[in-house]
Amino acid sequence: MKFDTIIIGGGLSGLTCGIALSQKGQRVAIVAGGQNSLHFNAGSMELLGNVDGEEIAHPVEAAQRLQPNHPYRKVGIDHLEELAQEAKTLLDKAGLTMSGNAKENHWRITPIGVTKPAWLTLEGLATVASSQLPWKAVTLVELEGFIDSPLQFVETNLAAQGVQVKVARIAPAVLTQARRSASEMRATSLAKILRNHQALASLAAEINQVTTADELVLMPMFLGLDDDALAALQAQVKPRLAFLPTLPPMVPGVRIATALQHYFKMLGGTYLLGDKVVDGLIEDNTMRHITTAKLQDVLLKADNFVLATGSFMSGGVVADFTRIYEPVFGLDVEAPANRADWTLAEVMDDQPYMSCGVATDDTLHALKEGKAVKNLFAIGSVLSGHNAAVQGDGEGVDMLTALAVAHRITNRQ
Amino acid sequence: MNKETNEFDVIIIGGGITGAGTARDCAMRGLRVLLLERFDYTNGATGRNHGLLHSGARYAVTDKESATECIEENMILRRVARHCVDETDGLFITLPEDDLGYQKTFVDACRAAGIRADIIDPAEARLLEPSVNPTLIGAVRIPDASIDPFRLTMANLVDAQLHGAVALNYHEVTDLVIENGRVLGVKATDLHTGQQKEFRAAVTINACGIWGMLIARKAGITINMFPAKGALLIFGHRVNQMVINRCRKPANADILVPDDTVCVIGTTSDRVPIETVDDMRVADEEVNILLTEGEKLAPALASTRILRAYAGVRPLVASDDDPSGRSISRGIVCLDHESRDGMAGFITITGGKMMTYRLMAQEATDLACRKLNVNKACATATTPLPGSEENSVSQQEPRSFAVKAAQGRHGTMADKIDADTPLDRALVCECEGVSVGEIRYASQQLHVHNLMNLRRRTRTGMGTCQGKLCACRAANLLGKYNHDAKLAQADLAKFLGERWKGVKPIAWGSALREAQLTATVYQRLCGLDKAVARKEGEQ
Amino acid sequence: MAATTQTTFASANNFEQCLKCSICTVYCPVAAVTTAYPGPKQAGPDGERYRLKDPKFYDEALKLCLNCKRCEVACPSEVRIGDIIQRARMQHPQRPKLRDVLLANTDVMGTMATSMAPVVNLTLGMKPVKAVMNATLGIDKHRTFPAYASQKFETWYRRHAAQTQESFSKHVSYFHGCYVNYNYPQLGKDLVTVMNALGYGVHLLEKEKCCGVALMANGMHEQAKRQGETNMQSMRKSINELKRPIITTSSTCTFTMRDEYDHVLGIDNRDVRDHLSLAARFIYQLIDNGEVKLAFDPNFKMRVAYHTACHMQRMGWAIFSTQLLRMIPGLELIELESQCCGIAGTYGFKKENYENSQAIGAGLFQAIKEADPQYVATDCETCKWQIEMSTGVPVLNPISILAQALDVEKTKQLNQN
Repeated sequence: MKFDTIIIGGGLSGLTCGIALSQKGQRVAIVAGGQNSLHFNAGSMELLGNVDGEEIAHPVEAAQRLQPNHPYRKVGIDHLEELAQEAKTLLDKAGLTMSGNAKENHWRITPIGVTKPAWLTLEGLATVASSQLPWKAVTLVELEGFIDSPLQFVETNLAAQGVQVKVARIAPAVLTQARRSASEMRATSLAKILRNHQALASLAAEINQVTTADELVLMPMFLGLDDDALAALQAQVKPRLAFLPTLPPMVPGVRIATALQHYFKMLGGTYLLGDKVVDGLIEDNTMRHITTAKLQDVLLKADNFVLATGSFMSGGVVADFTRIYEPVFGLDVEAPANRADWTLAEVMDDQPYMSCGVATDDTLHALKEGKAVKNLFAIGSVLSGHNAAVQGDGEGVDMLTALAVAHRITNRQ
Repeated sequence: MNKETNEFDVIIIGGGITGAGTARDCAMRGLRVLLLERFDYTNGATGRNHGLLHSGARYAVTDKESATECIEENMILRRVARHCVDETDGLFITLPEDDLGYQKTFVDACRAAGIRADIIDPAEARLLEPSVNPTLIGAVRIPDASIDPFRLTMANLVDAQLHGAVALNYHEVTDLVIENGRVLGVKATDLHTGQQKEFRAAVTINACGIWGMLIARKAGITINMFPAKGALLIFGHRVNQMVINRCRKPANADILVPDDTVCVIGTTSDRVPIETVDDMRVADEEVNILLTEGEKLAPALASTRILRAYAGVRPLVASDDDPSGRSISRGIVCLDHESRDGMAGFITITGGKMMTYRLMAQEATDLACRKLNVNKACATATTPLPGSEENSVSQQEPRSFAVKAAQGRHGTMADKIDADTPLDRALVCECEGVSVGEIRYASQQLHVHNLMNLRRRTRTGMGTCQGKLCACRAANLLGKYNHDAKLAQADLAKFLGERWKGVKPIAWGSALREAQLTATVYQRLCGLDKAVARKEGEQ
Repeated sequence: MAATTQTTFASANNFEQCLKCSICTVYCPVAAVTTAYPGPKQAGPDGERYRLKDPKFYDEALKLCLNCKRCEVACPSEVRIGDIIQRARMQHPQRPKLRDVLLANTDVMGTMATSMAPVVNLTLGMKPVKAVMNATLGIDKHRTFPAYASQKFETWYRRHAAQTQESFSKHVSYFHGCYVNYNYPQLGKDLVTVMNALGYGVHLLEKEKCCGVALMANGMHEQAKRQGETNMQSMRKSINELKRPIITTSSTCTFTMRDEYDHVLGIDNRDVRDHLSLAARFIYQLIDNGEVKLAFDPNFKMRVAYHTACHMQRMGWAIFSTQLLRMIPGLELIELESQCCGIAGTYGFKKENYENSQAIGAGLFQAIKEADPQYVATDCETCKWQIEMSTGVPVLNPISILAQALDVEKTKQLNQN
């Protein structure tokens, strides 16, 4: 089976690359080994939030100070702004309206009520212009029985910034009945219930009972999985609503994942979900074909291949008792040789393992035994050289490396 | 009893199993009891061992006295602490590299100590315990079992309190009140409030395990103790259903115990300086030893996910006439400092092992009673602990996973957990089946101030994910119950740090993937690091 | 320490690889419609740890799992969540109800019914009979049993096809399954037409038993295992002695025999698995390798919406059916978003599951209505019943569409060698 480009990995970077190539008319297949880590995305894209322990207001400008092996260096610091704009347009075309720009970060409100710098945030989610909250008073909506939104922490963290917090409890029967399941009252489950217009109306009625028109209301985002429920709810309630992401699985992240998958397929892309690349033939520094677990002897051939398999948690790189390695093609990795050097003592430290990943040349070609594989690129979290948890650059690296590689592939033709 | 009083008959220092057992025994004999624990109950060696209900077989060849004590206590605990015991039985296996001749010595010694020991065919052993090393050449079946030290300690404490005792955790004894060669009581600091307190009692019992030597120093008394570090590994699920031991002279990593949902291999044994005992970390070499020896007992361990590594400190006591520490006894050491050191009103109870805690408590209580002229017999060998009462287990077959899990953890006390509404039944910790109701019960009844306390009382965060989602949910609930969300948030960060301490030595495979997802949730998504840093900055 | 120590990891159906990420719960169609089901994470890897500790932790609610495997497709950690649940059910057998025995024994029912098909079809369709089945057996009254054919496929084959098959130079064995045999022989006939046109003789297996999927779903694992062993024996003979690979036209039979035999029933099928394929995949490969050519009827026109059956999704093979359909010049293909139709074999036939079943399928039915095709194409027979009953749109197997679209004579000529 032959495609122009085959992408291994169906998360944010793989989908971004697949969409960009499909938009240029390429026949693209994505092999996705299950759903992706967008499901742990809070609805925001981070470009660069922290350099040397300092929060960043101007990410493009601050990127000049990044470490020499950071993936942005291989994209070209000069191209960041342009690629970031392209990424935003791509999201928009996929039906994801997001606010923000690459020159200036805004601050998102995290599930525990802390502010963090962000580049783009999904419409409806609470954002502010700077780290300091501008609000005098907010009302937090607490849904009875819903334990995936730690509102105690939101309250205390908002209060620490001088915001007066009122908690308004609601218990619409249509939602609280989900609690009859001990484990399944999740944000995504509630969002499925709230696809129903009557259910949404009863939620709106409850909110109206405990709030007034002049309040700013923050509530956990347990609606809007794949529909316009956020706007529909806003239209039915008196106060202004702003949404907070919950603990995973997160509605905004699933929304982004679903929208990108739909858009990719709409463009004619082939999304092989639940399959896994098990092998590939590299000859003469060129990837000839790959084999998947499900298609078996039906080999997948393409002019170009893109590795977008993510970091440890997605299986893009693997650590065992003795080593860190890339499991599909045995590509070169950048990782400390000794296990003792993978980790540091304190959990919130800049853990070295977080920056481990596949080694690439200056144009993001993956390396095998020191040599660049001519038609195999690596993008996104599988790349070495950055720590998204500390630097706040995860989605930026995913999308911008994906777009840079898409350009290189189409320019090459 | 009025909690504000500071006059007691007995003050017990140390909230491990020995202290808790002694508090129970003293209270049951009508004494007015105060127990003080510096951190959390079970924080020391009690909470950091195998969780093995020894049959005594391990000591039969080398220490008959200990072996006899073990089997007697073993049979007692099966009765009085039923809900803490999992009657698994155990095997002592001989591998091709071991001397099969030792088996006879072993069996003879067991029988001499009163321990049932049946030689069985290796084929039968493989059938009984499919995970056992199939190359074994000999097997002996003995009445080992597993016991949950957290449950056991709490049940003792709860019963002590039911008999009027006062127990305070996070109270550090800073000094002994000594006048004219007599200990009159203790000075303590409430670690939560910083408040200094003084308590008085005719008898003070030092039951602090290895930390007991530091307490004794405060009275100018030297006890010759040697801290011995023992490291263990917890695997992700129950690989074995029976305890598996090596049939040879006791050595490193030769016991594999099925504990609740997991199994534990251990231990190593290394003397360490007393200064290090508050922060035990497991070294790579220890992990290597545990893995190498562990897979000899059950080869499946080689390919089983490891959840964490931890280490405890055994309080080894040298006999008074041997300061070199070469002749170590694992037996019970009950020191009457009045006769030994001329310090009246002061007793140290140490040595021994978790298995014999009840006997240790009995000896210490007997001595205290003699000093107080109280003449009442010990009843702890026959009175079931709360949760282990016979015929009071709810007859109704529980349907929900969480209720079944909670009954396993609390025995008959599980009836006190609210499970009437869907809200109460909601699972907070999905790996271990801990409900909102159980967390509220623990927080109100079982001295829970923080997530670490909660983990020990309920297993919250002890499962496969080591607290990834449940820690946040539980911390939020504790913040609500204790009306201090700020503290709860700081506690959440601390708890994640504590979990990482156990994960770090085994951070590969799924454990590392899990750690990365945890970092993604708490650092990248939630910004917990920022929240906590700011809190510290404010202070 | 061995070189493999902590470098390779093994746990039953990978349950220990679970990161507790909860992604599976987002994609469970059952948890989405009922709170009685604890969800795949709890029923699967979480529950498994406790069941390993003590079997009393088995939860009856596991029978609500419809075994669609969408949790496994979604899982980023390769945990075979559905298999874990199926195995747990197998290890905690309940005495099946009479109804379940009837529903599960597709071939016994079929043999009895085909011999008196007109009567049975009439009877099963009558309102009073349905009411009785509803009340006494617990088979939902809304369900229409798929009509039984008056002549079994096997009978047709022996009378009309068997004689000519040896004349081909290449050969395959055909595992037709119960549905083709008893309810819809036309699909089998279409398969013979297509394969013959491609130059392949089609043969029956020496002995074919129901794949057992319905038995497994109804707790009759021992019988399923016996039937599975019989099938494996017949297939081994076909592969090793007769040199004939085996093809099927049912995604569920294929999936059961390729994957569940091993993962759930513990049947060693490693030597058979790679020689057992869905006809759509087999034909696609022949075309892709340039071994056969197709000629189409220039007048063929059809607007088709393809529905990816759950087990087709799990096998990752929908691409073969859609690629094959795309080769047909006169065919307009709409690919429906992959989601469960709710029937799950015998699951939706049970009165207690009917509402859930229809609620699960609602999204698909809506999508089909919006697409407004002439036909729905799918590789699963039970999806066919459900979609036809719930939308009124007729459903065809891709092989039947191919049979209609081909210029059979021309194709035969192209593939004569």
